[in-house]
Amino acid sequence: MSANIRRNLTGIAFVSPWLIGLGLLFAYPFAASLYWSFCRYDLLSPPEFIGTQHYQRLAAEIAAGEGFGRAIWNTGYFALLSVPLSIALGVGLATMLSWKVRGQAVYRTLFFLPSVVPVVASSALWIWLLDPRDGILNRLLESVAAPRQLWFKGATEAMAPPDWFDFGSKDALILMSLWGVGNFMVIYLAAIGDIPEQLYEAAELDGAGRLRRFWHVTIPMLSPVIFFNLVMGMIQSVQAFTQVYIVSEGTGEPAAWSLMLSLHLFLSAFQDLDMGYASAMSWLLFVFLLIATALLFRTSRNWVHYQGAGR
Amino acid sequence: MLSRLLLCCLMLLALVVVISAWTEPPDARNVVPATRREVVFWHFWGGEDRTVVEAVVDRFNASQDEHFVRAIAMPGNNLDMKLFMAITGGDPPDVINQDDPIMADWAERGALLPLDEVASDSEIDALQKWLVPAANRLGTYRGRMYALCNGLDIRALYYNKTVLDQYGLQPPKSIDDLDEIAAATTVIQPDGRVVRFGYLPDARRLWAWGIVFGGEFDDDETGEVTLASRPIVEALAWMVSYRDRYGAAEVAAFRQGDQSLPGKTFPLLAGRYTMLMDGQWRVRDIVAAQREQRRAGQVVVEYGVCPLPFPPAGRPRAGWVNGNFFLVPRGAKNPAGAWEFMKFWSGFGGHEANAAQTCVAGGWIPVSTAVADQPTFRDYLQREPLFATFVELAAEPHQIPTPVMPGAAYFQRTVNDAAATAMYVEAAPDAKQLLEQAASRIQAHLDRNASRGER
Amino acid sequence: MSLPKPHPLAHTSLVVSAAIFAFPLLWMVLSSLKPSTQLVEDPYAFWPRQWQWSNYVEAVQAMPYLRYLRNTLLLAGGSVVGSVLSCSLVAYGFARVRWRGRNVLFGVLIATMLLPWHVTMIPRFLLLRELGLYNSLAALVVPTFLGDAFYIFLLRQFFLTIPEELSEAGRLDGLGEWGIFCRIIMPLSTPALATVALFQFIASWNDFSGPLLYLSDPDKFPLAYGLEQFVSSYSDQTHLLLAAATLFTLPIVILFFLTQRTFLRGIATTGLKG
Repeated sequence: MSANIRRNLTGIAFVSPWLIGLGLLFAYPFAASLYWSFCRYDLLSPPEFIGTQHYQRLAAEIAAGEGFGRAIWNTGYFALLSVPLSIALGVGLATMLSWKVRGQAVYRTLFFLPSVVPVVASSALWIWLLDPRDGILNRLLESVAAPRQLWFKGATEAMAPPDWFDFGSKDALILMSLWGVGNFMVIYLAAIGDIPEQLYEAAELDGAGRLRRFWHVTIPMLSPVIFFNLVMGMIQSVQAFTQVYIVSEGTGEPAAWSLMLSLHLFLSAFQDLDMGYASAMSWLLFVFLLIATALLFRTSRNWVHYQGAGR
Repeated sequence: MLSRLLLCCLMLLALVVVISAWTEPPDARNVVPATRREVVFWHFWGGEDRTVVEAVVDRFNASQDEHFVRAIAMPGNNLDMKLFMAITGGDPPDVINQDDPIMADWAERGALLPLDEVASDSEIDALQKWLVPAANRLGTYRGRMYALCNGLDIRALYYNKTVLDQYGLQPPKSIDDLDEIAAATTVIQPDGRVVRFGYLPDARRLWAWGIVFGGEFDDDETGEVTLASRPIVEALAWMVSYRDRYGAAEVAAFRQGDQSLPGKTFPLLAGRYTMLMDGQWRVRDIVAAQREQRRAGQVVVEYGVCPLPFPPAGRPRAGWVNGNFFLVPRGAKNPAGAWEFMKFWSGFGGHEANAAQTCVAGGWIPVSTAVADQPTFRDYLQREPLFATFVELAAEPHQIPTPVMPGAAYFQRTVNDAAATAMYVEAAPDAKQLLEQAASRIQAHLDRNASRGER
Repeated sequence: MSLPKPHPLAHTSLVVSAAIFAFPLLWMVLSSLKPSTQLVEDPYAFWPRQWQWSNYVEAVQAMPYLRYLRNTLLLAGGSVVGSVLSCSLVAYGFARVRWRGRNVLFGVLIATMLLPWHVTMIPRFLLLRELGLYNSLAALVVPTFLGDAFYIFLLRQFFLTIPEELSEAGRLDGLGEWGIFCRIIMPLSTPALATVALFQFIASWNDFSGPLLYLSDPDKFPLAYGLEQFVSSYSDQTHLLLAAATLFTLPIVILFFLTQRTFLRGIATTGLKG
């Protein structure tokens, strides 16, 4: 019994810095925004309780596919494509970078670098690269007789029928986000370093080839960080803001095809002075993400492999 | 690991100390002299304009022995956010400079100090007579002045004179002329791709063409959204006729190309158009490009400017105007100092000569003919004849801003969205339908806002 | 680390993907050396017409560079210390100590990341102001000492992969949880801790909105602010922006290049049996 209490106290002692932070910096803002979601709040005069009006409006917008509904679709499309692709790319690059090749350090730095470039500069670069007429990517496409794409001005989706592979504004944003995969790649790199060599040796003795070793040793051993990337990738892509704001000049153009949730929220809160509506939107998003992460954690028991038996 | 981390931190600290030793003393611009009252001024100017702003502030501070302006540049979307935080926290700046249509929204909610609380009624009367009509419109909400313009953004039609001469054409006076020149000087490659557009309407400029075609975006009396009225529908339909001619994809691709130009380069200079509607700030880009051509010994391309051409039932010398304006947040600690600074910059109350100097430095349009008539400014117009058209247009009655009403930002955004859909989406509904949809959306938004006011 | 040597074909794919990733960067550096007039007349040219090194001089002179650099270093240094210390402690508590309410609180930790910052920004600002941190770099550094959910989650994932037998061995040697944390877990987690340090350093280095919102005195602004000033709503100084961005990125590149080995020195190389 006393050992139990001791362990509980130890655990709480270790997490106490964060508990203080939670009480000090999170409790009030969270409570305030939840309250605002039931209020008229224009940031300039005191909030006034109005019940569930904002939530009714959000439901109507989802039904009509306008405003919030449109933003959900755009954000979902972006997240569902960019997260899996960035995991695949990140694991792939990290694997390549763990090979013994000459100039390993240079390669690592190169892949990592894009994630460090300030967004103001990288946005300018990508607007250039993806120019529909003179951009290098379209010129490459043209040289292999593929059709040119509209990219940032495109009111299309590459992964949507009937016209597959018409790359539009969201696809351009996905491309941009994949270029910045370097930070997740570093995490994989660190995790690959933690894989005990004996596992590979044992697999090799069992006659496993390169692919099998990758599939049966590397991937399971990476699963804790892949899981981390999955959860964080989902959260971050749903909240992606700066690059969307810059490339669409704060409009979500063309015709709301790149109007992401975070941009819609920003415009509603700070241009239309409707913080109540923005808060309601945020809390719907919160509930959705909470359910989604809970499901991910639940399924993670089946595929995430922790060596430490600490669960 | 911990010891290594500690070592790293110590090294970092040492580095900081070394750098601090080298660091110049705090910028004198940020140190308020003990005998003066501070005026905190937030603005969003960056790039070359920031130097001009700093020069105005320095001149004001040198001219004063009572107030001292401390300017903070806040690029990007941060100015508004920081302002809301400051207002909520009860610590707003004394004066800010803005260019988005937010004045009515903020005034309606009591966040702004009406200027008649800082200045006497007679001074406000004099100010209203002193300002050009467009500046009055931009600053007035429900009959009270809340904003003082310090510069107007006027749009006109730039044209490449060298190209027009090649084709033996004159600058357009009517929409028919414009269409004719556009068709004649558009260059299309054999593969169907456009190399140069004679003219291509910009989706964001329905605001200008709507007014030129004789439309009103809202009814001043009833506050009703009149976006789908006949002249505006005609204006959009005319814009869409260009999309129909060249295809939405080609139009969108070409337009994106303008945005891809580094540094917001003027696309006219890149030879992409024969004619292009844009604001007066492009004059300095043209001048810089011509100077460079002269320096490099190349042929100098000539450019001209004319008022927007108009259809038979439309308005001459009309257009969409916006501007930069000063606002004093309620709760400002030194509104008197803010008022002095605002007058100093805009030129009102005997500061005309100084304002002329500022306008010349920044390539800005004076908000009063009294400033435009200053010798400094006259000389400038002599040197930069292109600029004169804009200055003349600024004083015209049909230079009309986005409706000054709460919800104006939403209004503007929704209109731009509708026009962009019309111009860039192949399967878009027709102009009338799009504008009707947008109008009902805006009306719903305004009604939501209005129900707030009743409580 | 001794993963197999790559197949030649695989090696080629490495080189090709490196080239693809590097291309935009190469363009950034080359464009930062172009005269502004070339950017206007021939924006898609690859090579500079003349190598205009003065862009760099001009970019640095456009801001109080050393002052901003000092602020950035203070900000980044303080935040790295704060994050590494607090997050490793908290992550250990979540990963390796079994206590009641652990899973629920971990759920709360994840939940703190799910609300967009735009709606919590104003109350958070009011709190920091009440705490007397407004207009001081501490407003940005102090919160890092109270843990960050992202890094805690990341470290937890790493701590969970360390075999439990190691802790058991420590307990048999009479170590308490604190002893196991300091003597066993931390030394084994160098790559993960280095990753957190690196991420926090970069986050602070690049942070532009935070300082602007929590500081009101321009003398306290960081380098990221100096970078933003080349962007304007009327005409950007792209050549200067790109020069400044290159200069701005360079220290991180050098830092990463020199320390990249740290990220791959885990259990496998310390010779412990898994």
